[in-house]
Amino acid sequence: MKKFDVIIIGGGHNGLVASSYLSKKGKKVLVIEKNENVGGLAEYAESLNCISPIIKKELGINVNNINHSNNIISLEDNQNHTILSDKNGKLSFVQTNADENDQKKFLSIINNYKLFSKTLGAFMFQKPPRVKSGKRADLFQLISMGWKIRKLGKKNMRELLRVIGLNIADDLEDNLNNNNLMGLLSHEAVLGTNLGPRSPGSILTLLYKQAINDNIFNLNKIEVAEYINQLEDCCNKNTVEIIKSSEVKKILTQNNSVTGVQLTNGEGFESKYVMSNADPKTTYLNLLGAEILDTDFIRRTKNFRNKGNVAKLELALENEININNIDKKMNGKFIYAPGIKYIEHAFNANKYNKYSENPCLEFYVNQKTLSANVYYVPYLINTNHQENEIIERCVSVLSKFIPDMKIVKQKLITPNKMEEKFNIAGGHWHHGDLEIDQLLMMRPFYGSAQYSTPINGLYLCGAGTHPGGGLTGINGLNAAKKVIEDLK
Amino acid sequence: MNTSKISYKKPLLETPFHERTSEHCYANDWYRWAGYKVAKEYSSTELEYTSMRNTAGVIDITPMHKYDIKGEDAKKFINKLITKDITNIQSNQVAYGIWCNEDGMVIDDGTIFCFNENHFRIFCAERNLNWFSDTATGFNASVEDISPSIAALAFQGPLSCKILNLLKVENIENLKPFHFNNYNLENHNVTISRTGFSGDLGYEIWCDPSQAIDVWDSLFKFNRDYKVLAAGMNALEMVRIEAGFIQPNVDFMSAEQALRPNRMRNPYELGLGWLVNLDKEYFTGKQALIRHKEKGPEKKLVGLDIEGDKPAVGSVLYDNSKKNQAKEIGIVTAAMWSPVLKSNIAIGFVSKEHYKLGSNVYAEIYHPEELDYRKIWAECKVVKKQFFNNPRRNETPAFT
Repeated sequence: MKKFDVIIIGGGHNGLVASSYLSKKGKKVLVIEKNENVGGLAEYAESLNCISPIIKKELGINVNNINHSNNIISLEDNQNHTILSDKNGKLSFVQTNADENDQKKFLSIINNYKLFSKTLGAFMFQKPPRVKSGKRADLFQLISMGWKIRKLGKKNMRELLRVIGLNIADDLEDNLNNNNLMGLLSHEAVLGTNLGPRSPGSILTLLYKQAINDNIFNLNKIEVAEYINQLEDCCNKNTVEIIKSSEVKKILTQNNSVTGVQLTNGEGFESKYVMSNADPKTTYLNLLGAEILDTDFIRRTKNFRNKGNVAKLELALENEININNIDKKMNGKFIYAPGIKYIEHAFNANKYNKYSENPCLEFYVNQKTLSANVYYVPYLINTNHQENEIIERCVSVLSKFIPDMKIVKQKLITPNKMEEKFNIAGGHWHHGDLEIDQLLMMRPFYGSAQYSTPINGLYLCGAGTHPGGGLTGINGLNAAKKVIEDLK
Repeated sequence: MNTSKISYKKPLLETPFHERTSEHCYANDWYRWAGYKVAKEYSSTELEYTSMRNTAGVIDITPMHKYDIKGEDAKKFINKLITKDITNIQSNQVAYGIWCNEDGMVIDDGTIFCFNENHFRIFCAERNLNWFSDTATGFNASVEDISPSIAALAFQGPLSCKILNLLKVENIENLKPFHFNNYNLENHNVTISRTGFSGDLGYEIWCDPSQAIDVWDSLFKFNRDYKVLAAGMNALEMVRIEAGFIQPNVDFMSAEQALRPNRMRNPYELGLGWLVNLDKEYFTGKQALIRHKEKGPEKKLVGLDIEGDKPAVGSVLYDNSKKNQAKEIGIVTAAMWSPVLKSNIAIGFVSKEHYKLGSNVYAEIYHPEELDYRKIWAECKVVKKQFFNNPRRNETPAFT
């Protein structure tokens, strides 16, 4: 059997980051990817606001910004759309039917949230502290977290602690009157989570996503494919061995320690260190096997909330796409979530494992093609989605704004399909909900935080770890650093 | 379970023996056990206790939880669940085992009946379906709660085998301890195991609920010569203390139920280290138990032989014969005056410095005397928990 210093299961974005880092440190690394291409779920990522400065620094990767006009267009049934433009992080209204007071308040809410997410952002790129480890470093980190919050000042700290468990609808309704503006922010808070605007904790998810992306509206500034290519090049340059179209069947262990991996074709590789870029449920229940894990741990693994509810819709039309009442040259992120009530109604279906009758959409237009994130389309356990019906519902929403839609090609990727293609249990973008009990040192769950696992030599490096999904690469980097630390 | 029998007026279930137990229960004193009512005392606890020590006593243990484990991986499942290695268990054999959580803290104990490689049955005092089902993840083994489908009696005492013999239960005297088999009892097919709580010769009889009344009646058939009595929970408590058997949520908190983490106990603290096999490749809690073993227990559940004749119920234990200089070092979990041993015994936790056999500790006993307490400072000797262990218990063929 061939021997490696470290084997990485899954050539997704975090796997590539981890392997680049490890190979730069002179380790012999093997990456095993199930699909023909590396990059994993990044394939579906429409937008990437920035590459984390830490990744840039550590791996020497740089992708130029695209010179897109960065607009956020919130569509409204009465065709009075709201357009916001983002210039280097500064937001301004281009067009809106909201009154001046609302506009002012809207921008001030966003500024407030920005301040809070900066506080959170300070912990985002670090290894989260281990509670009760008794180590000084962990203790200092916990203290510094508390200190960062205290440093906001009395008024702001109180406000942060007030909103952190709050639902976004309450906060917005207290401050705004305009439905469209409320819908727009609610959309950013609930997209990719199992929350509605009235679910507690929906402000926290917004702050958290903002901290990860450095922007409240995750805009399309970086070419994701180019970024992945560069990462792959970085791996190849550093002689990382990447095997594509091969699936890992089992992580081999002996005496509570990793010994290697076995592929579905029977081939095996030896290593004392294995990093799994798969989600925690797949890693523990399928790759490792529940029979060698403590029952309490299995319970926590099974209770990890990982039900995805966003589908990807790709449409190709016969003619160039024009949106009613929007200038042809105007491009950017289109959002259809016209109010809190509308999103909450869409969310109601999700509670009962049904897709929304009137879905919310976020989409980008490129001449004749349109690609959208549709929610809520929940992951189903035993039944299949009526894909045509979902597409029909989306098209009926889109046709309010796009006259004469003649569809040439259509493709819907439901969470179930994502699960199948990328081996992500539940088909969740972030491998698991970003909610207060599944964040920081609690991510993915007690006993598995800080990228380590109960098995010696096995590490997690996927989006199921801190700081979650969102193409930060921090998960892979932190996990790789942890491996280097343990290899010493 | 026949839930139609439960209402807000009658919230407790009746066991299949209820027709008989309610007849015997003059005291009408019931105990709540797993949603059933069972007799605490029938007429006199002392008499019921004496029947178990001198002839034989019958205890309704139907509320015991019973779980069927079936499937190809049934044995592997049991081996992951419990701390002991049962790889070599044979059909018709019974194993006693405990199961721990990931911190190596004891959840419950139980007896495990092996029907064959693919079929086991676990009997335990607390509900464990949730724990078992989660443990079964990844195994080809099903866990089913079959509690209501089996009626059970404990038949304990020196004459238990003799009476079964008189009932023409063939070859019962050759049933070895911790074994079970199917027998014909007065034309009923029943399962009898040589297990029990009394520390003496005794059997447990498992039958279909429809046979319950007949099985019960048959055990009392020779009462003209051998006075068999129905025994309640109070009498059972007495014999189990004498035998040194511990009970979850009485002598220690089950790790699944304890709210305060420092109330959980590991097997070494309970004196059950002999049930832990750290050479076994994998079971829940192994890593933690390796650490616990290395560290050694901070306190230990031991037997106490106490001076005087006043039971040390709920007493606090101290390290010094002089009260004003004494430091608290433990607590009594169960205590009684033992009629058969003629001594004042107790089970309790004692800290590290004092749990060695032969050590002296002191109990402050609050003895109630006509609306007043007499406070007694009693010397106790640390002894083995097993106060009563009659050789009859393990002899085959059994005493007839």
